[in-house]
Amino acid sequence: MKTIEMTVNGERVQALVEPRTHLADFLRDHQRLTGTHLGCEHGVCGACTVLIDGQPARACITYAVQCEGSEVRTIEGFEDDALMNELRAAFSREHALQCGFCTPGMLIAARDLVLRLPGAHERRIREEMSGNLCRCTGYVGIVHAVASVVQARGASNETPVAQAPTASSAPRFTPVEDRAEEKRQSASPVGAGTRIEDEVIVKHPLERVWAAFADMPGVAACLPGAEITESAGSSVKGRITVKFGPMRAAFAGAAALERDEAAKRGVIRGAGQDALSSSRARGDITYSLSDAGGGSTRIALGIDYSLQGPLAQFSRGGLVKEFVGRMVAEFAANLDRRLAAGTLAPPPAAQLDAGKVFWKWLWSRIKAIFKLRRRAL
Amino acid sequence: MKPAAFDYMRPRDVGEALKALRGANGEAKPIAGGQSLGPMLNLRLARPKLLVDVSRIDSLKEIKDEGDAWRIGACVTHAQLEDKALPGCELLAHVARRVAYRAVRNRGTVGGSLAHADPAADWPLVLAALDAVVRVAGPAGSREVRADAFMTAAFTTVLADDEIVESVRVPKPGAGARWGYYKFCRKTGEFPEAAAALLLDPERRTARLFAGALDRPPQPLDGVARAVAQEGTASADMIAAALARLAPGLGPAARKLRVTAVQRAILQS
Amino acid sequence: MSAEARPGQGVGARVPRKEDARHLHGRGLFVPDMMLPGQREVAFLRSPLAHARIAAVRKPPGSEGRVFVRGDMPEVLPIVAPSTLPTFKLSEQHHLAYGKVRFVGEPIACCVGRTRAEAEDLAEQVEVDFEELPALVDAHQARLDPSIRVHEEWSDNLYLTLQLDNGFDECSKKADVVVKREIELSRQSMNPMEGKGTLAVWDDRANQLVLHSSSQTPHLLRVGVARFLRLNEEQVRVIAPDVGGGFGYKCIVFPEDLCVAWLALKYRKPFRYVEDRREHLVAGANSRQHHYNLTAYASKEGRLLALDAEVTIDGGAYSNWPFTIGLEPGQATGNLPGPYDFRGYRVKTYCVATNKPGFLPYRGVARTGVCFAMELMIDAIARAVNRDPYEVRLQNLVRPEQMPYDNVARKHYDSGDYPRALRMAREKLDVEKWRERQKRGEPDKRIIGIGFASYCEQSAHGTSVFAAWGLPMTPGYDQAAVRLTAGGGLEVRIGVQSHGQGMETTMAQLAHQVLGIDVARVQVVHGDTGTTPFSTGTYASRSMVMSGGAVVNACRELIPRFVRIGAHLLKAPEADCRFENGAVIAPSGSVSLKDIAEAWYMRPERLPENVDRAGLEASVAFKPKRDTGAFSYASHAVAVAVDPETGQVEILDYVVVEDCGTLVNPMVVEGQAIGGIAQGIGTALYEEQQYDANGQPNASTLADYLIPGPTEIPAIRIFHIESPSPYTEFGMKGMGEGGAIAPPAVIFNAVNDALRPLGVEVRDTPLTPEKLLDAIERAKAVPKREAA
Repeated sequence: MKTIEMTVNGERVQALVEPRTHLADFLRDHQRLTGTHLGCEHGVCGACTVLIDGQPARACITYAVQCEGSEVRTIEGFEDDALMNELRAAFSREHALQCGFCTPGMLIAARDLVLRLPGAHERRIREEMSGNLCRCTGYVGIVHAVASVVQARGASNETPVAQAPTASSAPRFTPVEDRAEEKRQSASPVGAGTRIEDEVIVKHPLERVWAAFADMPGVAACLPGAEITESAGSSVKGRITVKFGPMRAAFAGAAALERDEAAKRGVIRGAGQDALSSSRARGDITYSLSDAGGGSTRIALGIDYSLQGPLAQFSRGGLVKEFVGRMVAEFAANLDRRLAAGTLAPPPAAQLDAGKVFWKWLWSRIKAIFKLRRRAL
Repeated sequence: MKPAAFDYMRPRDVGEALKALRGANGEAKPIAGGQSLGPMLNLRLARPKLLVDVSRIDSLKEIKDEGDAWRIGACVTHAQLEDKALPGCELLAHVARRVAYRAVRNRGTVGGSLAHADPAADWPLVLAALDAVVRVAGPAGSREVRADAFMTAAFTTVLADDEIVESVRVPKPGAGARWGYYKFCRKTGEFPEAAAALLLDPERRTARLFAGALDRPPQPLDGVARAVAQEGTASADMIAAALARLAPGLGPAARKLRVTAVQRAILQS
Repeated sequence: MSAEARPGQGVGARVPRKEDARHLHGRGLFVPDMMLPGQREVAFLRSPLAHARIAAVRKPPGSEGRVFVRGDMPEVLPIVAPSTLPTFKLSEQHHLAYGKVRFVGEPIACCVGRTRAEAEDLAEQVEVDFEELPALVDAHQARLDPSIRVHEEWSDNLYLTLQLDNGFDECSKKADVVVKREIELSRQSMNPMEGKGTLAVWDDRANQLVLHSSSQTPHLLRVGVARFLRLNEEQVRVIAPDVGGGFGYKCIVFPEDLCVAWLALKYRKPFRYVEDRREHLVAGANSRQHHYNLTAYASKEGRLLALDAEVTIDGGAYSNWPFTIGLEPGQATGNLPGPYDFRGYRVKTYCVATNKPGFLPYRGVARTGVCFAMELMIDAIARAVNRDPYEVRLQNLVRPEQMPYDNVARKHYDSGDYPRALRMAREKLDVEKWRERQKRGEPDKRIIGIGFASYCEQSAHGTSVFAAWGLPMTPGYDQAAVRLTAGGGLEVRIGVQSHGQGMETTMAQLAHQVLGIDVARVQVVHGDTGTTPFSTGTYASRSMVMSGGAVVNACRELIPRFVRIGAHLLKAPEADCRFENGAVIAPSGSVSLKDIAEAWYMRPERLPENVDRAGLEASVAFKPKRDTGAFSYASHAVAVAVDPETGQVEILDYVVVEDCGTLVNPMVVEGQAIGGIAQGIGTALYEEQQYDANGQPNASTLADYLIPGPTEIPAIRIFHIESPSPYTEFGMKGMGEGGAIAPPAVIFNAVNDALRPLGVEVRDTPLTPEKLLDAIERAKAVPKREAA
């Protein structure tokens, strides 16, 4: 718990709060100012918009502790505000509210707009109000209401929008830098659907690699972020910790190996659960070995994965795919490195955090590719 | 939708912030505006033990004219740039105005956006195109990293757990420089589906073109940039081929949209 | 807007809303705003899997009395909603998962804390062992392959199959042209800005369980809670305070309601659950998902002769109480023919169980889907016969001289001029201007398209209609209780609930129309089972017709009583007196309602001997003369610009011509229509809950699930026609849902108009840029073929 002090609607308040209490909960539950509403609690809908030090802000993604010493103003703090009263009258006249849930946030955003952008025209009003969602009115009344208040205050000169010059008169020139595009690319291979493939060539004969791959704990430990806690024959138990920006998950579970001696193919089937988020991940890693000539072996890797639970429930599936792609790439890198060292054991304990191991490895691979190309030329 | 418990501290200066981060063994997270971290905390996707609030450190809020460049403190907000804190740099104001929504821009910061490294975000793309340099404060002092090498993967940067972004140095384009920035969003203020930024600076003989919103760091389209500098244009096929190399996972429609974004950024310039 | 407002405060006047003031000052009172002494907050552990057996649930140590699973609440009965529809199978929904989980987000354990955060901390620590089962994600597959079943005691995955054949063979034989299309709508969440929420508290003084609930139907919730908790109804009171939008979402009994009610009963403390946005998106994706295989039979002029339809509705995991899963297929089957005059119809509608949240009635119930399907067909027919879709639509609409009209699905259309609405829409849009611009081409290379869509909307349908759908409840009469107060004001009590519809104002306008009392002096009381007469509640665009009709009749009931007292006060024979404008008037003078009220309440010595002892309050039940529904209708017309390089669709103009009978408050009608259209634009272009092969939804935030903002909704223009219904008071018709019905149809028709030269025809919602670009790229790859 932390003691905080701030000014709310002109009154000095002091309170003991948990750091995780967001400003909206602080205002609503601690100060009983319930006009600040919670519509999404992730900063999109705008129902919780208040003024912090005079500027509109989301009270749901601002924590009360961050407002120490600040001046906070909620809808309840505008009783004698002439402009707010003008807006209130306009909202009622133009039928800019129905259920009223979005209205306080809407008014606070609208007041800021009127003050900040005198003469704003309809398109600009719509853009500026787009941080506040209303499910009832279809915005027509809201836009009319705001526009009418903007108009009543005069000043019809909309701030000109920064316009880039047109291409017609552009002078031509040759840039000094002359790089190949490939130099800086960080692309890792991405396959279709939720299958991802990668390939690595190691300078060891096929039979030796095949034998090394029988070491299930050793193979499993090449998975970035893996920790093996138990192993018996071709199966292991343990967990994989993954870090994705500020997100982190630890999937505890088990994996088992199936091998096809004749085809030199194997499948590691793994599944685990992140207890806190109750999310689940499953991945089948297939590897297929073939002779790459000159005592080298080509390892073709593939992963079929699925993610379930809260961590899966986002529309940006491309990010997950990209992430798994990096994971496969690092798995391949670890195999490569360990086989070079002669054995697959011992396991590292590092989590996958690209920009560290992976990044160095990627550079080395890219350099290698370039070396090969130069030779080819 | 309430966050898991965390502790909170507000250091007075960069040194104190770094010390706090170092002491937390990777369990701390710096927070500035918190406009991206906040949702992740509320959704319990991020669960740091400690938040180190750097938003009140004065040295991180400075904006300086260094003659040939602007230096923008990490905690300068999008709204400050939108309101033309840097007279003469229309591009930064143009971009800032299109970041999410005003209430978010009032608290969200340039440094926070870089450090968060969302591949769909505006600043990583635009600052890469402007050839900006990120100054990073860490235990051994400051180091500088080019903006186009700062993000290494989605939500991943070169920052170590005990480092923070200090400032960004944006070189001033020469006289007659032109820029283009186009992002395609399904809704105003939402994450773009495609984005591209271009800087053409004849005086300094620089042409930089980056494609963003690719689920990976902004990708340089140097060949296309060169063609645009030399001939004033680049063919759709050339752009498509470059994108196919840089982001091979894209389907036909997704690639088409990104080609369009690049073309429109070029047209704007 | 265009409607000529009538002066004054009565029917037809644009009276500003009485409910605005509190919201404009942040003084509304919503369930999340309440805080009672000792109140506890509830969070749920929800299923991460779409389909699994629950092998074990382990509660965290030391969590006794704070974590509850199904077995801890043996008194609660499972939610079962029977239906008398043929082939209907019952689903049993336990308030916490029992044995199996059937959709992602299904509640498994109920966790209690002093704060919501604390309750969520606890939910994280509950461990569940699952045996995962294959998830049924695709309704067709679930229907055709019964080997995996959502409800294992069933023989397949069909809730029910409805069939209807009326003159199909005979009419289809005469056709010159046969047009086939496959049409689809994606799954949506309704997204009222306030989630659902219930605060349950035991009131010792009243000896009652009181639920403060964000409900559209407080009286039904009371019946349901009493039934599933095995209480007597008089032991339950439901109060719906300010409700932050409903749209159909808040008209059922939720499992979460039963949990907090049980806790309050057991522990005699207040317990509250408030749904957050993630829960709403994930566990509340419960509407709109229809699939159509349609074959239209038409003459060579494009006159529709017969329609053959196979409709598949993805019903999700459970049937809700009390509307049942049967409402959606019932409405789809009956409403597909729309406002058109044709005589051959054959339909088979499957409602399939899948591992998704159970279908609920969302604004426009089924009609957004059927209108989308039918209107795309009309345009497809027009293309097939090479005529303007407007002309084809016009010639197929039911004509005014056919009214009242019994259609091919035996719907009784009461009144209106459907072609006039379409003609007006065309004129108001200024089609010639857009065609000209379309021909000229845009400087930015976007392509212009225009589209039309027409529909009629059954509103305030009553006993006979619902009885045919066989629900556990059938609406009958709606009651209103009115009371003249001692000071001459009026209290009006209604059993429906107003959550944005403005009924605190419009009901007062009706009372003003009858009694002449100033709207400011009419207090409308709603949303509380303890203080209002029974009503099944606010749904199906019924409140103004039903409750409003009751208010009108209850007010009228008082008039003879006023006259008797007034005549006595005026010392005039009753026969010489009349009631007018809030006063009893005799040749010798007049007395006001205030004088009459004063006599009844405070000065009984002034009353006549034969005074009506019913006093100055009346409770009257009302039902329209015919209960098959008052049909509102409208034509929408839009002009769009399609960017073939980005797939972006911009709506350049949106025109509505609507007829909801007599307008009570044109401002409110327009607000309802525009709000509905905004949601319909969401359906058309933005909103979608997608599922992966495991039944995982991919949208849990409003950054994933896009609901339209101010730049996505154009400045919609509305024009009115007023054709009074012959069956209702003042000729009013319901219209709350209509706006949400036509937008997907009209927008897709406009986009298809724009893209016709490219050979593109899109037919599934939402029309995302990627989908549109895909269609364009695909069309480029295929050699152009002749239209249909």
